[in-house]
Amino acid sequence: MQISTAATAKRTLFRYGLAIGLIFLALLVSLALQNSFGNPFWFFFSAAVILSTWFGGAGPGWLAVICSTLAVMYYFTPPLRSLAVTPHDLPYFVTFVACEMGVTQLISWRKRSEDSIRQARDELEVRVAERTAELKNANDALVRQMAEQRRTEETLQATRAELARAARITTIGELTASIAHEVNQPLAAVVANADACVAWLSRKMPDLAEARSAAERATQGATRAAEVIARIRSLITKATPEKSRVPLNRVIEQIAALAEGQAERNHVAIKLELSPDLPIVLCDSIQLQQVILNLIVNGIEATTSVTDRPRMLTLRTEAEDKGQVRVSVRDSGVGLNEEVMGRLFEPFFTTRPKGMGMGLSISRSIIEAHGGRLWAESNTSGGATFQFTLPSEDGLTA
Amino acid sequence: MKEPEPVVFVIDDDRMIRDGLQSLIRSVGLRVETFASAQEFLVAKRPDAPACLVLDVRMPELSGLDLQLKLRDGGIPIPIIFITGHGDIPMSVRAMKEGAHEFLTKPVRGQDLLDAVQKALASDRTLRQERKEANEIRGRFESLTPREKEVLELVVAGLLNKQIAAQLGMSELTVKTHRAHVMEKTQAESLAHLVRMSEKLKSVSRK
Repeated sequence: MQISTAATAKRTLFRYGLAIGLIFLALLVSLALQNSFGNPFWFFFSAAVILSTWFGGAGPGWLAVICSTLAVMYYFTPPLRSLAVTPHDLPYFVTFVACEMGVTQLISWRKRSEDSIRQARDELEVRVAERTAELKNANDALVRQMAEQRRTEETLQATRAELARAARITTIGELTASIAHEVNQPLAAVVANADACVAWLSRKMPDLAEARSAAERATQGATRAAEVIARIRSLITKATPEKSRVPLNRVIEQIAALAEGQAERNHVAIKLELSPDLPIVLCDSIQLQQVILNLIVNGIEATTSVTDRPRMLTLRTEAEDKGQVRVSVRDSGVGLNEEVMGRLFEPFFTTRPKGMGMGLSISRSIIEAHGGRLWAESNTSGGATFQFTLPSEDGLTA
Repeated sequence: MKEPEPVVFVIDDDRMIRDGLQSLIRSVGLRVETFASAQEFLVAKRPDAPACLVLDVRMPELSGLDLQLKLRDGGIPIPIIFITGHGDIPMSVRAMKEGAHEFLTKPVRGQDLLDAVQKALASDRTLRQERKEANEIRGRFESLTPREKEVLELVVAGLLNKQIAAQLGMSELTVKTHRAHVMEKTQAESLAHLVRMSEKLKSVSRK
């Protein structure tokens, strides 16, 4: 601030100095030429005034006007060497001064408007630069935000998948512990009572009454264990599916879209070959989705170790005669050997280290509860095809 | 004096298991009392006889392990056979540390349980005998006068009459008299017997 004030003062001094210098120069030249030409060249003063105003601004311009007026009065209007003007020279002198003043005024006006235009332009440039910088900052922030959002979304998705798995494992763990306890309790009763029965019979004098009541309690325990098992089974496959009219193709499209992410991550292409004139089926759509998703996920996982051919999953629907529709999920995966094929639909049978081995078993129960069939075949070209049939609406009414 | 009939307490919240275990244990001629919960057992009147406890670990409200601690804190020494459906190691370690007699997993084989019961009853019988003897000895020892007790301490520590007389500031003759009283009151047959009784008393009160 201090420096800029000092600089301004210096610049002001220079502008006024310039005016005085120019007038002095004009005076010297005019004096020099006066001896040779007689008639004084007042126009040099005009030039000095113009230059002073042009380069120095209004203040120095007016100073130059005053100085040149005094100089002309003193040196060039008779009586010479005095500040008086003879009446004869007065009109000429006044015209001169008026011209000077006019020129100064005009130039300074011009200067002022030019200055304000320049200032406006400078300000505009500064503003444009500021705006550009702001825009750039905003843009950078946006890019950063987008990257961050993408990262967050990825993390979210990973977390969600992790959570789903953890929840599944926890549920399975809890379920298993609870099932184990529920079944173990009556089994313990069976063993205790059966042992007691044998013990009563093994006495020197067998006590048949005691043995009988122990045997009866053993039977009760076994019945209770069977009830527990039945309850668990009905829990896993809902006893009565809630049937509604389901457009099968739409359900398959939805589930395929749902599995798209997982397929992409494993570089598996999902291909849909859906029959356009498929009859409506009557089924529990949630359960059906569960079956289809299960088959798709199985298919994807079967292809993940394949490297020598394209990883493909083909979902196909077709109307069969006898009022049935058929859905097939064909993969280009590792395929099924004979041993696996034989046990595929057994509960708790799995080929995956983390698998529960319930998916296909439950899927088959669901399809059979709908009056359909679910089976697997090996493809001649490698991989396996899982397919199921469901009765169509007209098949049911027929 | 005839030993009272031993009794086995069975605590399990599952009636079918409880009845099965009861029947099994009764079949070998043992007396059984059953309880559906730990609280029921705690408020019941227990006979003064050799006993053991067959206890389910997993029970609502007061668990088997809780009951074990309650009995120990209440100064009720009774061997416990734990039965558990999910015998995880930390739980069994904890139970054994607290003095469980045996830890069996469900379903329990009948013979295993009967063996464990017999062993637990035998152990309780021995402990009861030891406690009874110790009580008798304690009764005799407590009939001694303070002076006689002092003499007893030094005699058991192996000091000669002369040394005892010097230490307690009395004549050797007085020491001899006290000593005779001690032998008589504690029914000690010899010095060695006296020392043994004194040791037993100390070891039981330490337990």
